[in-house]
Amino acid sequence: MSAPAWAGELRERLTGLLGGSVELEGAVLLAGGASKEAWAVDARTAGGVEELLVRRAGGGVIHADTLSLEEEYRVLEAAWTAGVRVPRPVAYLGELDGREAFAMERVEGETIGRRIVQKPELARAREALPGQMAEELARIHAIPAAGLPFLPHADLLVRLEGELDTVEEPHPALELGLAWLRERLPTRRAALVSHGDFRLGNLVVGPEGLVAVLDWEFAHVADPAEDLAWPLVRAWRFGVDALRLGGVGEVEPYLERYRDLTGREIPLAELEAWEILGNVKWGVGALTQARRHLRGEERSVELAVLGRLAAEMELELLHLLERAA
Amino acid sequence: MRDRPNAAELAEAVREFLESEVLPILTDHRLRFRALVAVNGLGILERDLRAGSGEDEAERQELQRLLGSEEKDLVALNRELAQRIRAGEAPPGTFAFLERSVRAKLRVASPRTLERYR
Repeated sequence: MSAPAWAGELRERLTGLLGGSVELEGAVLLAGGASKEAWAVDARTAGGVEELLVRRAGGGVIHADTLSLEEEYRVLEAAWTAGVRVPRPVAYLGELDGREAFAMERVEGETIGRRIVQKPELARAREALPGQMAEELARIHAIPAAGLPFLPHADLLVRLEGELDTVEEPHPALELGLAWLRERLPTRRAALVSHGDFRLGNLVVGPEGLVAVLDWEFAHVADPAEDLAWPLVRAWRFGVDALRLGGVGEVEPYLERYRDLTGREIPLAELEAWEILGNVKWGVGALTQARRHLRGEERSVELAVLGRLAAEMELELLHLLERAA
Repeated sequence: MRDRPNAAELAEAVREFLESEVLPILTDHRLRFRALVAVNGLGILERDLRAGSGEDEAERQELQRLLGSEEKDLVALNRELAQRIRAGEAPPGTFAFLERSVRAKLRVASPRTLERYR
């Protein structure tokens, strides 16, 4: 792949930031998220080669509460300072060819959820992951909110209802889930800094387990049970349905580890209410993603097909509602 | 009259081409992933075309009964049900209807998902 048009801009920016002159050795677009680009860039300085990952805005955002790249970079810095396992933040870069970007250390490991749950060489990692995920969430939920005043703290149910309305297509199954949640979702816990998309596909995993937590664009302030329940959502088990925690483990030891570290006791039944919310959230998310394609904000077969796959979350939702009744 | 292949057969032919001739030579994994998604999309299209309108008719009648409505438009009927649920006035029988209608959607969109719920 040829160098991106903004390679010159990036070199200038990094020259100031890394000190001394910088030469770029290749920039490769990696398999990235749906709304952001991720570029592997090697920057040669007097001191050696820095392996960087440049995260750059794509076309459009997933929902209104998505952080800007500058805000996301500040969250990454706060997480790094708080001792969360994240790639070391290198620099916020401003705009590269009209789109915001930042640079961070490029960490090695697997990020594709399906491979994490399947690869034989990651068997040991899978054993370690449930405990490590609880530990990392405990650290994330201890990040001081005071330094991040821009983090959204909207009522999630109100937000989802509003987003479902923008879809302009009736989804009575999702409405039933929202109605159930309005009555039953416990909301008594203090709101804490939350990752907002903590699931296998956003973790870097090596042979020993969790290496880094990525993709902080949905960070917000919320009940910590929301983050804890998100990797339980069946879509994030990547086909290994029987292991309810992200296709890698059981839920109970994970909850116990989190309780031991934080003192926060979250009963399984309560976590399951948040799991129901997770399915509504991803169902609504799939529908709104498909609209980005249908409305021409970002044409993509991947986004288009999501409109039909939202029914998977609807069925799971009905299944969970029946079980909770 | 339209000549064969019919719409579903054409979608099938394109899908088979992508699967047997394009996918095997794709190495870039972003491209590969998107090609797999495209193959899946064509599979949905085939099943949608072959499903015909029988499912829609059954859903229409069921919704008319559930809502006590003579509305004929399927989207309008579903919208009314959605509004009633949001207002906290889901009619009795809503859950059973939703289970059937969501399963009907998945027979087209993702039959493999249904197998996981047996």
